[in-house]
Amino acid sequence: MADTWADRLSRKAGYDERSAAILILPVFVVLMVVALYPIIYSFYTSLFDIVLTRPWRRPFVGYGNYARIFQDPMFWVAVQRTTVYTVVTVSITTVFALVVALLLNEAFPGRRLLSALILLPWATPSIVNGLMWKWIYDPGYGLLNGILVQVGLLESYTVWLGNPDRTLFMIANAAIWKQMPLAAILLLVSMKAIPQDLYRAATVDGANVFQRFWHVTLPALKPGLMLVLVYETMISIRHFDLFLIMTQGGPGDASYTLSWQIYVETFRNLKFGIGAALSYLLAIATFVLSYLFIRGFGSKS
Amino acid sequence: MMWRRGLRALVITVLSLLLVIYVAGPVAWLVSSSLQSESDITAVPPNWLPPKVTFDNFEAIFAPPKREVTYETRRQGDPATGRFLPSGAENLLPALWNSFAVGMLVAILNLVVSMTAAYAIAVIHFKGRKAALYTILVTRVIPDIALIVPLFLVMRQLDLVNTRFALVVTYLAVTVPFTIFILISYFEQIPRDLYRAARADGCSHWQALRFVYLPLSLPALVASVMFAFLTSWNEFIFALILTQNITSQTLPIIISGFVMDFTTSFSFINAAGVIAIVPPVVLAMMFERYIVSGLTAGAVKG
Repeated sequence: MADTWADRLSRKAGYDERSAAILILPVFVVLMVVALYPIIYSFYTSLFDIVLTRPWRRPFVGYGNYARIFQDPMFWVAVQRTTVYTVVTVSITTVFALVVALLLNEAFPGRRLLSALILLPWATPSIVNGLMWKWIYDPGYGLLNGILVQVGLLESYTVWLGNPDRTLFMIANAAIWKQMPLAAILLLVSMKAIPQDLYRAATVDGANVFQRFWHVTLPALKPGLMLVLVYETMISIRHFDLFLIMTQGGPGDASYTLSWQIYVETFRNLKFGIGAALSYLLAIATFVLSYLFIRGFGSKS
Repeated sequence: MMWRRGLRALVITVLSLLLVIYVAGPVAWLVSSSLQSESDITAVPPNWLPPKVTFDNFEAIFAPPKREVTYETRRQGDPATGRFLPSGAENLLPALWNSFAVGMLVAILNLVVSMTAAYAIAVIHFKGRKAALYTILVTRVIPDIALIVPLFLVMRQLDLVNTRFALVVTYLAVTVPFTIFILISYFEQIPRDLYRAARADGCSHWQALRFVYLPLSLPALVASVMFAFLTSWNEFIFALILTQNITSQTLPIIISGFVMDFTTSFSFINAAGVIAIVPPVVLAMMFERYIVSGLTAGAVKG
């Protein structure tokens, strides 16, 4: 049966369709096995109460896992930590990137060298990024304490990562360092696309540097900024590597973010159902946020 | 007018210097402390430059000492002597090789499957191309961590746990959607008349891809190879779960083990970090132009 159906399809379908099918097939096979199937399976998992320490009973609970998550105070702690971390990371990354892009948009000797150099953080593996900053923050021998004390800004050595009031910001700083370059490059490319005539016209009208930035550059950058915001939010909201290597959710629950909660529920408490449900909530949050950004920014362009 | 030019030059110089310090400073410190002995990196205030350059850490990684236990080696391995090296040091070299092998394979396979799919979606106007594209892109919306458990089960079913091949296939799922997106925006900028001419001359789709589209999109192809290699080189969470022993573990996994083990000296950890950072940074700097133009191909049009 299957043979005749396939035969008929290839006879009927034109050369284009057949070529397209063949050319696209490898990607679909790969994505089927390692992406689509796991995605569907993990949604299916999220509807069951699966706990690996109790493998004989895995009842269907429907939205039960989701309901339990919403009643879990640790979930709301995680939401709060994730929000603070993401807002800090994304906003500072974007502002830094904007300044760097404005700088690299100018013509000056050494500009090419500089734009190659800023790829350094981008190419750094996140694990190395994490250990590097952990060492810089080291309370006993780290560079940060050393510099601050030598300059006189700090009386004596202090704890950075281990201080619950600071830890999220210290991790965010490591993330910003790594993410800023790509954001800057994306903004630089959209800046280069702004017609020079706009600047000339504004100069003729007597606009100074800041007015030109505010009235010409910024409006024209809107699509670029939107892309950066959406991309950075999607990345930052699910950061995990830095948290594992730098703080493991601690001290206490100071860096207990949603990704960390997913990891703890899945691999430490072995509650696969809860872990999968949490992942879906995170995916939905990412989706909604991207949509809101695109709606909010896309209104004009 | 003069003072304004001077002001501009001053602002640019100051900002450039700050940027160089911000970007290169932390890495310079990483390199500097990897070349210091245990007693030098624990100095207060810290030594910005190694007072006495030592390659002990790198030696331990690239030429692991023989592990005969004698009185002498015991004494040398004592943390108090400051030459203590973690027992996993000899794992770094195989891990380095695993990282290279996985990265190369991902880079090649990613390019092959992505370019054909991107050609099909961008150039052949077949029914359902939009649906195909969205299906591919939507796979990136779910956080990676959500896919690990099902992926582990799939790999166990296929008997692929603890193999480099499992990592290769998994990383393809990460790199392929983005690569296809980039290549599509590149292919769409190529004038369609070239395609029509090629087809009118009797080119098959394969030939049109091979002789028209690929030669004209070299920057994007180089960028995808770089992107795939770097993604694979840097990836952590999938490798953490899918590989449990040194036949397949990659560099980030071994290094994270040292970081979690609080007895390991940061001078040694930093040396391992330097080794992990060199290949991606060298590649990124060498192919900077291609990476920038390739990765941003889709960004300009929005």
